[in-house]
Amino acid sequence: MNSLNGLKKAEAPEFFYTRLSGRMQNETEPVRKTSFLLRPALVTAVLSVVLVLNVISLIKTNEQPVNSNKPAGIEAFAEAYNMDGSSVYE
Amino acid sequence: MTEQELLSGLRNGEEPAFKELVTQFRDKVFNTALGLLQHHAEAEDTAQEVFIQVYRSIDKFKGDSALSTWIYRITVTKSLDHLRRKTRKKRFGFLSSLLGEDNRLIHEPGDFDHPGVQQERKEDAAMLFKMISQLPENQRTTFVLKKVEELSYREIAAILNTSEAAVDSLLQRAKQNLRKKLSELPP
Repeated sequence: MNSLNGLKKAEAPEFFYTRLSGRMQNETEPVRKTSFLLRPALVTAVLSVVLVLNVISLIKTNEQPVNSNKPAGIEAFAEAYNMDGSSVYE
Repeated sequence: MTEQELLSGLRNGEEPAFKELVTQFRDKVFNTALGLLQHHAEAEDTAQEVFIQVYRSIDKFKGDSALSTWIYRITVTKSLDHLRRKTRKKRFGFLSSLLGEDNRLIHEPGDFDHPGVQQERKEDAAMLFKMISQLPENQRTTFVLKKVEELSYREIAAILNTSEAAVDSLLQRAKQNLRKKLSELPP
Protein backbone atom coordinates (compact mmCIF):
# COMPACT_ATOMS: atom_id res chain seq x y z
CA MET A 1 0.00 0.00 0.00
CA ASN A 2 2.92 2.33 0.59
CA SER A 3 4.48 1.78 -2.81
CA LEU A 4 3.03 5.06 -4.11
CA ASN A 5 4.59 7.10 -1.32
CA GLY A 6 7.03 9.63 -2.73
CA LEU A 7 5.50 9.24 -6.19
CA LYS A 8 6.69 11.97 -8.56
CA LYS A 9 4.12 13.51 -10.86
CA ALA A 10 4.31 12.50 -14.51
CA GLU A 11 5.03 15.26 -17.01
CA ALA A 12 3.29 15.70 -20.32
CA PRO A 13 5.32 14.40 -23.28
CA GLU A 14 7.59 16.67 -25.29
CA PHE A 15 5.99 18.63 -28.15
CA PHE A 16 2.57 18.21 -26.51
CA TYR A 17 1.42 21.66 -27.63
CA THR A 18 2.63 21.12 -31.21
CA ARG A 19 0.72 17.85 -31.50
CA LEU A 20 -2.36 19.41 -29.90
CA SER A 21 -2.30 22.36 -32.37
CA GLY A 22 -1.93 19.97 -35.31
CA ARG A 23 -4.89 17.92 -34.14
CA MET A 24 -7.05 21.00 -33.65
CA GLN A 25 -6.26 22.25 -37.17
CA ASN A 26 -7.09 18.86 -38.67
CA GLU A 27 -10.37 18.71 -36.79
CA THR A 28 -11.52 22.19 -37.84
CA GLU A 29 -10.82 21.87 -41.61
CA PRO A 30 -13.76 19.57 -42.51
CA VAL A 31 -16.09 21.86 -40.55
CA ARG A 32 -15.03 24.79 -42.73
CA LYS A 33 -15.84 22.85 -45.92
CA THR A 34 -19.28 21.92 -44.62
CA SER A 35 -19.99 25.45 -43.41
CA PHE A 36 -19.06 26.80 -46.86
CA LEU A 37 -21.63 24.51 -48.47
CA LEU A 38 -24.26 25.55 -45.93
CA ARG A 39 -23.84 29.31 -46.45
CA PRO A 40 -27.34 30.86 -46.85
CA ALA A 41 -26.42 32.73 -50.06
CA LEU A 42 -25.24 29.52 -51.74
CA VAL A 43 -28.22 27.47 -50.55
CA THR A 44 -30.70 30.17 -51.73
CA ALA A 45 -29.01 30.45 -55.15
CA VAL A 46 -29.05 26.67 -55.70
CA LEU A 47 -32.69 26.39 -54.64
CA SER A 48 -33.66 29.33 -56.94
CA VAL A 49 -31.96 27.69 -59.94
CA VAL A 50 -33.76 24.39 -59.24
CA LEU A 51 -37.10 26.23 -58.92
CA VAL A 52 -36.60 28.17 -62.19
CA LEU A 53 -35.67 24.95 -64.05
CA ASN A 54 -38.82 23.30 -62.72
CA VAL A 55 -41.05 26.18 -63.85
CA ILE A 56 -39.45 26.26 -67.33
CA SER A 57 -39.88 22.51 -67.81
CA LEU A 58 -43.52 22.76 -66.67
CA ILE A 59 -44.25 25.57 -69.14
CA LYS A 60 -42.53 23.72 -72.00
CA THR A 61 -44.52 20.56 -71.26
CA ASN A 62 -47.83 22.44 -71.38
CA GLU A 63 -46.90 24.26 -74.61
CA GLN A 64 -46.40 21.03 -76.64
CA PRO A 65 -49.45 20.61 -79.00
CA VAL A 66 -51.30 17.31 -79.02
CA ASN A 67 -50.71 15.89 -82.50
CA SER A 68 -54.12 14.55 -83.53
CA ASN A 69 -52.99 13.71 -87.10
CA LYS A 70 -50.80 10.92 -85.92
CA PRO A 71 -52.64 7.64 -85.44
CA ALA A 72 -52.64 6.14 -82.01
CA GLY A 73 -50.08 3.46 -81.27
CA ILE A 74 -52.14 0.34 -81.89
CA GLU A 75 -53.76 1.75 -85.07
CA ALA A 76 -50.39 2.67 -86.52
CA PHE A 77 -49.13 -0.82 -85.76
CA ALA A 78 -52.14 -2.44 -87.46
CA GLU A 79 -51.77 -0.16 -90.49
CA ALA A 80 -48.06 -0.90 -90.84
CA TYR A 81 -48.62 -4.67 -90.87
CA ASN A 82 -51.80 -4.64 -92.99
CA MET A 83 -53.89 -5.76 -90.09
CA ASP A 84 -56.59 -3.14 -90.61
CA GLY A 85 -59.41 -5.73 -90.94
CA SER A 86 -59.34 -6.26 -94.78
CA SER A 87 -58.89 -9.93 -95.79
CA VAL A 88 -56.22 -11.14 -98.17
CA TYR A 89 -59.01 -12.95 -100.13
CA GLU A 90 -60.75 -9.71 -100.99
CA MET B 1 -0.99 36.46 -16.73
CA THR B 2 -3.83 36.40 -14.16
CA GLU B 3 -6.72 33.94 -14.39
CA GLN B 4 -9.07 36.73 -15.50
CA GLU B 5 -6.68 37.82 -18.27
CA LEU B 6 -6.28 34.21 -19.31
CA LEU B 7 -10.05 33.69 -19.46
CA SER B 8 -10.57 36.92 -21.34
CA GLY B 9 -7.92 35.93 -23.91
CA LEU B 10 -9.45 32.46 -24.29
CA ARG B 11 -12.92 33.90 -24.83
CA ASN B 12 -11.50 36.14 -27.57
CA GLY B 13 -9.88 33.11 -29.21
CA GLU B 14 -6.33 34.41 -28.69
CA GLU B 15 -3.66 31.78 -29.30
CA PRO B 16 -1.13 33.10 -26.71
CA ALA B 17 -3.80 32.69 -24.02
CA PHE B 18 -4.50 29.13 -25.12
CA LYS B 19 -0.79 28.33 -25.19
CA GLU B 20 -0.44 29.76 -21.66
CA LEU B 21 -3.37 27.62 -20.47
CA VAL B 22 -1.81 24.47 -21.95
CA THR B 23 1.57 25.32 -20.38
CA GLN B 24 -0.04 25.84 -16.97
CA PHE B 25 -2.20 22.73 -16.95
CA ARG B 26 -0.68 20.12 -19.30
CA ASP B 27 1.23 18.25 -16.55
CA LYS B 28 -1.75 18.26 -14.17
CA VAL B 29 -4.11 17.00 -16.88
CA PHE B 30 -1.65 14.40 -18.19
CA ASN B 31 -0.73 13.10 -14.71
CA THR B 32 -4.41 12.72 -13.74
CA ALA B 33 -5.33 11.01 -17.01
CA LEU B 34 -2.30 8.72 -16.70
CA GLY B 35 -3.26 7.73 -13.15
CA LEU B 36 -6.78 6.84 -14.27
CA LEU B 37 -6.02 5.25 -17.65
CA GLN B 38 -2.63 3.68 -16.82
CA HIS B 39 -1.53 3.98 -20.45
CA HIS B 40 0.84 6.68 -21.79
CA ALA B 41 -0.53 7.06 -25.33
CA GLU B 42 -4.16 7.00 -24.18
CA ALA B 43 -3.39 9.54 -21.45
CA GLU B 44 -1.81 11.89 -24.00
CA ASP B 45 -4.74 11.47 -26.36
CA THR B 46 -7.21 12.18 -23.56
CA ALA B 47 -5.20 15.19 -22.39
CA GLN B 48 -5.43 16.62 -25.92
CA GLU B 49 -9.20 16.04 -25.92
CA VAL B 50 -9.45 17.88 -22.59
CA PHE B 51 -7.76 21.01 -23.99
CA ILE B 52 -9.86 20.89 -27.16
CA GLN B 53 -12.99 20.71 -24.99
CA VAL B 54 -11.76 23.61 -22.83
CA TYR B 55 -11.06 25.71 -25.95
CA ARG B 56 -14.48 24.99 -27.46
CA SER B 57 -16.58 25.42 -24.33
CA ILE B 58 -14.78 28.24 -22.54
CA ASP B 59 -17.93 30.38 -22.93
CA LYS B 60 -19.83 27.87 -20.78
CA PHE B 61 -17.39 28.38 -17.90
CA LYS B 62 -19.21 30.81 -15.61
CA GLY B 63 -16.54 31.05 -12.93
CA ASP B 64 -18.61 29.28 -10.25
CA SER B 65 -15.54 27.22 -9.44
CA ALA B 66 -11.82 27.73 -10.00
CA LEU B 67 -10.57 27.22 -13.56
CA SER B 68 -8.36 24.35 -12.33
CA THR B 69 -11.41 22.59 -10.79
CA TRP B 70 -13.28 22.87 -14.09
CA ILE B 71 -10.32 21.48 -16.05
CA TYR B 72 -9.79 18.61 -13.59
CA ARG B 73 -13.52 17.79 -13.87
CA ILE B 74 -13.28 17.61 -17.67
CA THR B 75 -10.16 15.43 -17.33
CA VAL B 76 -11.89 12.97 -14.99
CA THR B 77 -15.00 12.81 -17.21
CA LYS B 78 -13.00 12.27 -20.41
CA SER B 79 -10.80 9.62 -18.78
CA LEU B 80 -13.75 7.68 -17.36
CA ASP B 81 -15.57 7.91 -20.73
CA HIS B 82 -12.46 6.48 -22.38
CA LEU B 83 -12.34 3.61 -19.88
CA ARG B 84 -16.05 2.83 -20.44
CA ARG B 85 -15.56 2.75 -24.23
CA LYS B 86 -12.57 0.45 -23.76
CA THR B 87 -14.57 -1.91 -21.53
CA ARG B 88 -17.40 -2.02 -24.08
CA LYS B 89 -14.91 -2.87 -26.84
CA LYS B 90 -13.39 -5.64 -24.72
CA ARG B 91 -16.83 -7.13 -24.03
CA PHE B 92 -17.72 -6.98 -27.72
CA GLY B 93 -14.35 -8.59 -28.57
CA PHE B 94 -15.01 -11.38 -26.08
CA LEU B 95 -18.48 -12.03 -27.54
CA SER B 96 -17.07 -11.99 -31.06
CA SER B 97 -14.46 -14.58 -30.10
CA LEU B 98 -17.17 -16.74 -28.49
CA LEU B 99 -19.26 -16.54 -31.64
CA GLY B 100 -16.27 -17.52 -33.76
CA GLU B 101 -16.18 -14.27 -35.73
CA ASP B 102 -12.71 -13.40 -34.58
CA ASN B 103 -10.11 -15.82 -33.29
CA ARG B 104 -7.65 -13.22 -32.04
CA LEU B 105 -6.78 -13.19 -28.38
CA ILE B 106 -8.15 -10.24 -26.47
CA HIS B 107 -5.24 -7.95 -25.78
CA GLU B 108 -4.66 -7.34 -22.10
CA PRO B 109 -2.16 -4.58 -21.33
CA GLY B 110 0.84 -5.52 -19.26
CA ASP B 111 1.72 -4.07 -15.86
CA PHE B 112 1.62 -0.30 -15.83
CA ASP B 113 4.91 1.41 -15.10
CA HIS B 114 4.34 4.92 -13.75
CA PRO B 115 7.39 7.10 -14.53
CA GLY B 116 7.31 8.74 -11.09
CA VAL B 117 7.61 5.56 -9.01
CA GLN B 118 10.88 4.99 -7.17
CA GLN B 119 13.02 2.26 -8.74
CA GLU B 120 12.93 -0.11 -5.72
CA ARG B 121 9.12 0.11 -5.52
CA LYS B 122 8.31 -0.43 -9.20
CA GLU B 123 7.09 -4.02 -8.83
CA ASP B 124 4.85 -3.30 -5.85
CA ALA B 125 3.54 -0.12 -7.48
CA ALA B 126 2.65 -2.01 -10.68
CA MET B 127 0.65 -4.50 -8.60
CA LEU B 128 -1.07 -1.68 -6.70
CA PHE B 129 -2.00 0.11 -9.96
CA LYS B 130 -3.52 -3.14 -11.22
CA MET B 131 -5.67 -3.31 -8.08
CA ILE B 132 -6.60 0.38 -8.43
CA SER B 133 -7.92 -0.32 -11.93
CA GLN B 134 -10.34 -2.88 -10.43
CA LEU B 135 -11.88 -0.40 -7.96
CA PRO B 136 -15.33 1.12 -8.60
CA GLU B 137 -15.13 4.37 -10.63
CA ASN B 138 -15.75 6.84 -7.80
CA GLN B 139 -13.26 5.14 -5.43
CA ARG B 140 -10.63 4.91 -8.19
CA THR B 141 -11.06 8.58 -9.10
CA THR B 142 -10.81 9.73 -5.49
CA PHE B 143 -7.77 7.56 -4.82
CA VAL B 144 -5.94 8.79 -7.96
CA LEU B 145 -6.71 12.46 -7.29
CA LYS B 146 -5.43 12.08 -3.72
CA LYS B 147 -2.44 9.74 -4.12
CA VAL B 148 -1.25 10.43 -7.66
CA GLU B 149 -2.20 14.10 -8.12
CA GLU B 150 -1.91 14.92 -4.39
CA LEU B 151 -4.97 17.18 -4.26
CA SER B 152 -6.59 18.23 -0.99
CA TYR B 153 -9.96 16.90 0.20
CA ARG B 154 -11.47 20.30 -0.57
CA GLU B 155 -10.20 20.29 -4.16
CA ILE B 156 -11.37 16.71 -4.75
CA ALA B 157 -14.78 17.51 -3.29
CA ALA B 158 -15.11 20.51 -5.64
CA ILE B 159 -14.09 18.43 -8.67
CA LEU B 160 -16.48 15.59 -7.88
CA ASN B 161 -19.30 17.93 -6.77
CA THR B 162 -19.54 16.30 -3.37
CA SER B 163 -18.65 16.97 0.27
CA GLU B 164 -15.28 16.52 1.95
CA ALA B 165 -16.84 13.90 4.21
CA ALA B 166 -17.93 11.92 1.15
CA VAL B 167 -14.40 12.15 -0.26
CA ASP B 168 -12.97 10.83 3.01
CA SER B 169 -15.48 7.97 2.99
CA LEU B 170 -14.64 7.05 -0.62
CA LEU B 171 -10.93 7.13 0.15
CA GLN B 172 -11.31 4.88 3.22
CA ARG B 173 -13.39 2.39 1.23
CA ALA B 174 -10.84 2.44 -1.59
CA LYS B 175 -8.03 1.69 0.88
CA GLN B 176 -10.05 -1.11 2.50
CA ASN B 177 -10.73 -2.69 -0.89
CA LEU B 178 -7.09 -2.41 -1.92
CA ARG B 179 -5.88 -3.99 1.36
CA LYS B 180 -8.35 -6.83 0.90
CA LYS B 181 -7.27 -7.43 -2.71
CA LEU B 182 -3.59 -7.31 -1.76
CA SER B 183 -4.09 -9.77 1.12
CA GLU B 184 -5.73 -12.23 -1.29
CA LEU B 185 -2.62 -12.34 -3.45
CA PRO B 186 -0.42 -15.45 -3.19
CA PRO B 187 2.70 -14.84 -1.01
